Amino acid sequence: MKANIVIIGGGISGVAIAYNLAKKGMKDIVVFDDNYMTGGATGRCGAGVRQQWGTKGNCIMAKMSVDFFETAQEELQYHRDIEFKQEGYLIVATNKEEDEQFAKNVILQNSVGIPAKQLSLEEALEIVPHLNKDIVTSATFCNTDGHLNPFLMTDAYYHAAKRLGVKFFYNEKVTDIIVENSKITKVITKNYEVITNKVVNAAGGFSYEVGQLAGVELPVYSENHEILVTEPIEKIQGPMVISFSKNIYCQQVPHGSFIMGRSDLDVERGHDIGSTHKFLDEMAKTAVNLLPPLGDLRVIRQWGGSYNVSPDRQPIIGDTDQLEGYYLAVGFSGHGFMFAPMTGLLVSEVILGLPTTIDITDLHIDRFKNNETTEYEHSVV
Amino acid sequence: MRIKNHPILEFKKQSTINFTFDGKSVEGVSGDTIASALHNLGIRKLSHSIKDKRARGFYCAIGNCASCNMIVDGVPNVRTCVVLLEEGMAVETQENKGVLYERT
Ligand SMILES: Cc1cc2nc3c(=O)[nH]c(=O)nc-3n(C[C@H](O)[C@H](O)[C@H](O)COP(=O)(O)OP(=O)(O)OC[C@H]3O[C@@H](n4cnc5c(N)ncnc54)[C@H](O)[C@@H]3O)c2cc1C
Ligand code: FES
Repeated sequence: MKANIVIIGGGISGVAIAYNLAKKGMKDIVVFDDNYMTGGATGRCGAGVRQQWGTKGNCIMAKMSVDFFETAQEELQYHRDIEFKQEGYLIVATNKEEDEQFAKNVILQNSVGIPAKQLSLEEALEIVPHLNKDIVTSATFCNTDGHLNPFLMTDAYYHAAKRLGVKFFYNEKVTDIIVENSKITKVITKNYEVITNKVVNAAGGFSYEVGQLAGVELPVYSENHEILVTEPIEKIQGPMVISFSKNIYCQQVPHGSFIMGRSDLDVERGHDIGSTHKFLDEMAKTAVNLLPPLGDLRVIRQWGGSYNVSPDRQPIIGDTDQLEGYYLAVGFSGHGFMFAPMTGLLVSEVILGLPTTIDITDLHIDRFKNNETTEYEHSVV
Repeated sequence: MRIKNHPILEFKKQSTINFTFDGKSVEGVSGDTIASALHNLGIRKLSHSIKDKRARGFYCAIGNCASCNMIVDGVPNVRTCVVLLEEGMAVETQENKGVLYERT
């Protein structure tokens, strides 16, 4: 087989890149994924979409991605609703430092056109009446944030890309990338040998290993993040509720279930994506503390997935001077789902040598070269 | 509906428990779960499917399937097959996914 480009990884990043490349006219695009569709982080994520970030780069990526999600069903001509529920993110503060930091964040967010605002406790309670009044001090809210269905969104991109001629292979692991005279010549998988000189690493939790296949060193690692879902009930919560200090995000999906997660601060780096009792215990306590009525809900299922973490918790997007023809869409650090429309657009522009829609200097791997401090994203769970 | 005579087992007469089902006064016996008491009364439809509202009844009987979810004393989504019947309980058919707020 011959291809103009091989995309390794068919998660939300891979399918978005494939679609954007095909839409811009590129032919013979091949996507390999070692799993079933959405078997990576994409099918395991909270799929929250928020624009209330603490760095300008993340704010812009998120805002432009939301603009896409709003019209995605139409643009991708998908036959189903992608369940984009735009009822906002309520980010709650529980101490003075957060009150102050959030005030700064809102100024930054407003400066790039994100309609976030700071709320008093009373105003926050009007939006989510079941918040625990005793621990929340203030909040910020952006009404165009929300969440959508990651399975449907990936499928929508997949079908649109397929109609434009992209070839997808699932359960097909890339085992080697052949480099001769500093040029990529071949991609080897379980069943195929593909002649190509361009590769995209969109391998999520395994992006470090897929870098190694071509001798490209990436400053990323993976860690397990757990999440759970409850039985459904009638709607009581519009927005995603999130707290960095309490370490929780919690949303009610259109079906009625609550989906919630938090980080394990002691988690070891690696590829484990198992489920622990520790998480179940801590998650339940945290959720009931912040949103007391949820204590009456039963947990139906819990699972884990990989965060692929970069040194400043912002994605690594673009090419690399380590190897010609090797492109990166990695290190999303737990928020790559919501950025995928921009990931797809920007990576396709870099590959085709077009001017990029936004400046990607702050997202390029070269930002880690000098000891220059890059802007660190603190607003993460 | 109750087995009274069995070739090997012996069933002692149990005391009566009064409760209401959708507002009507009815009876079960001590040792009943809510669902077994309703079953004895000939009530087969305990809940319905969320989307198409099709009838759902006594199914797994071990608290696993949610097919017997009802509102008990105002609490929605109670697995009636694994909750023992108590004197004076108000058992109601649940028309929706359950409203959490009414309790708090
Ligand atoms: C619990 C949890 C909650 C999250 N919540 C959110 C959220 O609310 N909002 C948000 O935006 N993001 C969230 N994320 C992060 C988000 O899931 C990821 O950033 C995003 O899905 C990454 O997509 P991806 O396509 O880059 O990676 P993936 O979806 O992981 O896809 C990578 C694919 O590469 C394949 N692959 C790997 N190695 C090979 C190989 N050698 N050959 C072939 N294929 C290979 C894998 O099979 C996989 O399917 C969350 C993540 C987790 C785990
Ligand atoms: S019948 Fe299955 S949970 Fe009660």
